[in-house]
Amino acid sequence: MNAYLQLSPTNPALIGLVVLLVCGLGAWLVVTGRILTGGGAAKVRRSVSLAVKSLWLHKLRSFLSVLGIIIGTSAVISLMAFGEGSMQDALADIKRQGATNIIVRSVKPPDDSATANRSFVTSYGLNAKDLSRFSTFGDAISRMVPIRVQPTEARYLERMSNARVIATVPGYAEVNQLEMSRGRFLVEADDHEIKNVCVLGSEIADKLFPTEDPMDNSVILRSMRFTVVGVVKERMPTGGSGGSQAAEEYNRDIYIPFRTSLARFGEIIFTRSSGSRSAEKVNISQVTLTVDAEVDSPTGRLKVQAVGDEIKRMLDKDHYKRDTAVTVPLDRLEEAERAQNRFTNLLVLIASISLVVGGIGIMNIMLATVTERTREIGIRRALGAKRRDITMQFLVEAVVQTTVGGLCGVLLGLGMVFTVPVVWKLIAGSALPAKVHVPSIFLSLFVSIGVGVLFGWYPAQRAARLDPIEALRHD
Amino acid sequence: MPAIVRIVDLVKNYYMGTQTVHVLKGLNLTFEEGDFVALMGPSGSGKSTLLNVLGCLDRPTSGSYFLGDVDVAQMSDDQLSEVRSTYLGFIFQSYNLLPQYTVVENVELPLLYQGIKLDEKTKARCVALAEMVGLAERLDHRPLQLSGGQQQRVAIARSLVNDPHLILGDEPTGNLDTKTSVEIMQMLRELNRSGKTIIMVTHENDIAEWARRVVRLRDGRVESDTRNDTRMVMEMGR
Repeated sequence: MNAYLQLSPTNPALIGLVVLLVCGLGAWLVVTGRILTGGGAAKVRRSVSLAVKSLWLHKLRSFLSVLGIIIGTSAVISLMAFGEGSMQDALADIKRQGATNIIVRSVKPPDDSATANRSFVTSYGLNAKDLSRFSTFGDAISRMVPIRVQPTEARYLERMSNARVIATVPGYAEVNQLEMSRGRFLVEADDHEIKNVCVLGSEIADKLFPTEDPMDNSVILRSMRFTVVGVVKERMPTGGSGGSQAAEEYNRDIYIPFRTSLARFGEIIFTRSSGSRSAEKVNISQVTLTVDAEVDSPTGRLKVQAVGDEIKRMLDKDHYKRDTAVTVPLDRLEEAERAQNRFTNLLVLIASISLVVGGIGIMNIMLATVTERTREIGIRRALGAKRRDITMQFLVEAVVQTTVGGLCGVLLGLGMVFTVPVVWKLIAGSALPAKVHVPSIFLSLFVSIGVGVLFGWYPAQRAARLDPIEALRHD
Repeated sequence: MPAIVRIVDLVKNYYMGTQTVHVLKGLNLTFEEGDFVALMGPSGSGKSTLLNVLGCLDRPTSGSYFLGDVDVAQMSDDQLSEVRSTYLGFIFQSYNLLPQYTVVENVELPLLYQGIKLDEKTKARCVALAEMVGLAERLDHRPLQLSGGQQQRVAIARSLVNDPHLILGDEPTGNLDTKTSVEIMQMLRELNRSGKTIIMVTHENDIAEWARRVVRLRDGRVESDTRNDTRMVMEMGR
């Protein structure tokens, strides 16, 4: 859901806008109702032209009194646009990591070293049973990519390098958006036939094959030969975020078929690092499940959440050691969206304040105008104008002002949205994403009209309540 | 002649804090249709207050004011506006034209509040009225470009545009020199002769002599009510 205002009853920006909107709308309805019952379109045109005429008499004053509205409207529109732009930018980043994925990882239970089990081999994590359980979701999960990570030395001839051997299935390339620079990624047949093939990360390929062509050569992993069938393009490592998603460095990875790993290396993973050594029995290090859902639709999101919850429940039941962790990147996406929404709402709230301030400016000038034009009011009353006619006259003047101001503000705001990023790029060199938020245009226009009605009402009433005799005597 | 204005026991009090000022103390007057009345009296006599009540700008404290057959004394503000708009025309001492409007637009102003459609026909009527008062050359002038006499003529044209039953003048020549005053009074008498009822306030005797009837007020009561000699009125016209 990309709605801009978060529909929560405690959202101050929302409440403010709604109050303004409702007041504006109500007053507007009253006014239009009065205009329409009072003689229709011709009369509207007449009172508008009347208002324009008397505003035109004091061009500078009208402009200054409406300046607040212009600034307020343009601020709302440009802030919304920049907020929306940066939000979509940030969200696109998260979506690239796969917002419909659910990542299940094996984690070493924290208390394992203290247990009485005096075995060198610690056994934990996901296993084949879990995998088969995941497949009971059927169509809900469109892809299931298990990986098994083993830090291993890779050798070619006399050259040796530390690598991370990742046993996985063909879907991995898609999930992690790997692009090939040479050859191909793993295919189904590699897995089925338990072939000894591998795909190299760019850095490891450079290390092992500085001069030779790695294709169709063999790399030795754990004294077994693996034929190189492809090399992955260099890729920026992803940043880890808040412990929920580990940082991954793809360039030192070597990919081999999942079943090959199980068959050739067995279930126990030995790691040796600086003298100490440990053995762990881990079947599967991580499974990335892609839920078949649309990330931009609310139902799709609910589905992802539901599947995530179900998986958590399933794993909790079976893994009493708490040796698994479920990460739903969508949570992060929604968190980011919420933060962004809060931020934008705050900006809009601040911008709305300038709209209100603009309204007060208009009210101020209108009050002065009413005093200044007391005699005119008296004359009009003597010639047959009803109180309502006087109210209308001044109200229309206020609304014409704020409407014109709102329109100018919209134009100014749009101008800013289109020019500021260009200038920004010239000066700061970095991109300033902006996306015009269309409802904000109508919203701010509507609010500025409402502000005119709201703040024009009191001066207009005051004008209408003047005693005609007093008003005629006024100099 | 049928009565166009009949006031019965008209009382107007002003309340200033705890004090009550009795301005009109039970007036009984009848003005006939087609009459030309001058209201006179020293300041504080209540003549302006009476004119305001007659002009439906103010409501009496008690008593009745029959305009035609209708008692307008206790009408609501909106109804009084309606009466002003339909039945009354005003001519003020200080002309009271709107400076931002042209001559024709000023004449048109009362029609704005009649709820009728403003089109070429009403415009032509306004132009005709402006021409009638001798401003054919100055239709698009603004009030400040006109002399006092010319402005007052615009005001007269404006007071006629709604074809009123009653024209009320509040010292219509008060700001004018003698020569221009005579011009204006001639114009008012022409109007009266064509059948318009005119009631005006003045404190100048030679202006009051243009009227057919002179009502003098003093301290909120009628002091004298005389008819000018018809012969004399005729002579003045010559």
